Amino acid sequence: MIEMRPLSRRRFISAAGAAALVGPVAAPSLVRAAGKPLRIGMVTSLSGPFTGLGESMRAGIQMLLAENGNAFAGRPVELIVEDDQAKPDEGVRKFRKLLGQDNVDIVSGVISSAVALAIRDVVTEAKALTFISAGSANDLARKAASPFVFRPTKTNWMLGHTAGLWAYEKLGKTGCLTIGADYAAGREYIGDFVATYQQQGGKVGKQLWAPLGTTDFGPLLTTIAAERPEFIYSFFAGSDAVRFLRQMRDYRLHGKVKLIGGGALFDQEDVVSAVKEAALGGLNTCNQSPTAPSSAAFTKAYQAARKVMPGEMGTAGYVTGQVIKAAVERVEGDLSNKDKVKEALLAKEVETVFGPMPFDPRNNQAILDIYVNEVKEGPDGVPVNQVIHTYKGVRDPGPAA
Amino acid sequence: MGFYAVQSLNALSFSMLLLLTGLGLSVVLNLMNFVNLTHGSFFLLGAYIGIYWLASGAPWWLAFPIAFAAAGLAGLLLERFPFRQFYARTHLMQVLLTYGLSVIFADLMRWGFGAQIISPEIPELLRGVVFILDMPFPVYRLFIIGFGAFLALALWLVIDRTIWGAVVRACVVDRGFVETLGLDTRRIFTAVLVVSAGLGGIAGALGAGILSAYPGLDEEVLILALIVVVVGGLGTFRGTVLSSLLLGFVMTFAKVWIPEFSNVVALILMAALLVALPEGLVAQKVRQV
Repeated sequence: MIEMRPLSRRRFISAAGAAALVGPVAAPSLVRAAGKPLRIGMVTSLSGPFTGLGESMRAGIQMLLAENGNAFAGRPVELIVEDDQAKPDEGVRKFRKLLGQDNVDIVSGVISSAVALAIRDVVTEAKALTFISAGSANDLARKAASPFVFRPTKTNWMLGHTAGLWAYEKLGKTGCLTIGADYAAGREYIGDFVATYQQQGGKVGKQLWAPLGTTDFGPLLTTIAAERPEFIYSFFAGSDAVRFLRQMRDYRLHGKVKLIGGGALFDQEDVVSAVKEAALGGLNTCNQSPTAPSSAAFTKAYQAARKVMPGEMGTAGYVTGQVIKAAVERVEGDLSNKDKVKEALLAKEVETVFGPMPFDPRNNQAILDIYVNEVKEGPDGVPVNQVIHTYKGVRDPGPAA
Repeated sequence: MGFYAVQSLNALSFSMLLLLTGLGLSVVLNLMNFVNLTHGSFFLLGAYIGIYWLASGAPWWLAFPIAFAAAGLAGLLLERFPFRQFYARTHLMQVLLTYGLSVIFADLMRWGFGAQIISPEIPELLRGVVFILDMPFPVYRLFIIGFGAFLALALWLVIDRTIWGAVVRACVVDRGFVETLGLDTRRIFTAVLVVSAGLGGIAGALGAGILSAYPGLDEEVLILALIVVVVGGLGTFRGTVLSSLLLGFVMTFAKVWIPEFSNVVALILMAALLVALPEGLVAQKVRQV
């Protein structure tokens, strides 16, 4: 048998050491700009299950920075993006790195609520101004609210609650079946929907749960087919949503049963572009819609740059940038007094692509317009989330709840 | 009645996917004593290729042979370097190598194919549903059951009934002896790895119709394949078949009866089976000399 000469350990280590030495020397020197640079850290998911969402979020904030010439209030902006892999401990590590090593002035990002809850203490201890772009667990506006954390995004309650109102009004007072991904977010969406729906007087039938990352929805869809509900409220995100919608079409349930879900189930960029016709007729409540009036210019620009209409994450990245920009501009670039920054943000609403965004002083949670979207065929045959109703100024019940 | 019939068919279609993926892994592990954790990457590669082929408008039935060929080619290149150097090494080294490679491939594929979830355009012929006693069941899943069974049967026939299969089986038992017969076992190993990778690829192309393709699918599938192979008994064809059927049915019916805990229950059952039968469902007959 021919044996290749194995790479000796000594040679390998010396080669690696040489390579490491070259690195820092070859690295470009830091930006030396006129005003003191403003360092913004963004932690998002660039690997793991939320990869597509994380890349959209990064693209969104990069778009905002590019539109503003990479400067807020005269200060050049340095954006440092880190990957939390949708894991809480990795998110904590990256936040600590951004705050401790990179000395960022502002941290932002986070898609996974688990990560958001994990880093809440880290940023509160470090007294760092934080803008959670998408982590939407209810607790962050209630028990886990922090004076340093701003949330320019929805809470799960906002979407579940409005869906409950809509469903009771328009879809039916009985014959509801719920199915959702069995993790914190899924439980919150479905729980809030059921609470509101029942409070209005509706009756909920079976409640099905699928573990996160379910590959085969066949058995559950067959169960649903046997139950024959009038409509289904569902929450899935990412690849789960894509598989659920496609398999629903495979099993001929699409079109037979009305489907209403959380925004992520019919996310324009992440899901609808993947499943196309299988999403038609779907309803969802979401703080974002590509056809919302406040989003008109952004939708065009995003489509030109990324060849697809924006979903919640791309828009959230852009909105985070808008909110940070407003905060920095309101204090004229001086972030040294954190209380002044907070006051400036709370004083007046920020005009964003989601809509007008005032913040609730109790918990720094945004008060948002929630859109009811229906997926219909757009002008060029592509299915689009069209706004059919707006619930204005929905406010999370907050710490009292 | 119809309900349980369709659920059984659901289980069978899932089992078929597990079987095809597990077979590739099992053959390599059995023959070359090589733990190949890049198998998930072959699956994902096959899935992406299948999706792009089906979207391109070329004859759809070619998607599967092309996925087989592409993954097989990847396997060939990998076998040449670095797998060949690692056959003699311990399993831990192989795990380190192949796991590292799978991470590299995951990144490469994300760079090449994008991070969005993509799904195939299922050809017209396979798009409908059949109604089994009043319950709908997708034709595409029937196709998976049929095609998967055909592939598995073909593989079994080759391994069990042809001379090439006999040579491969002989290599498992005593490689040195086969060398004395004048056969180049290195080429045999290469061929087996290529076939195994190709199987992974074709399973991916088939599975993309149900699972879609996205970064992260490779890890999910790898774990399932490992469970199938380990519980089935390392290195027996019947064992892999049995355990894939078992895992498929357990996971499906757990979803029917206890949906929230379906994953937990299914895996507890598999773990219990492993504790009860450490050699796997069908233990390899090893002669003590």
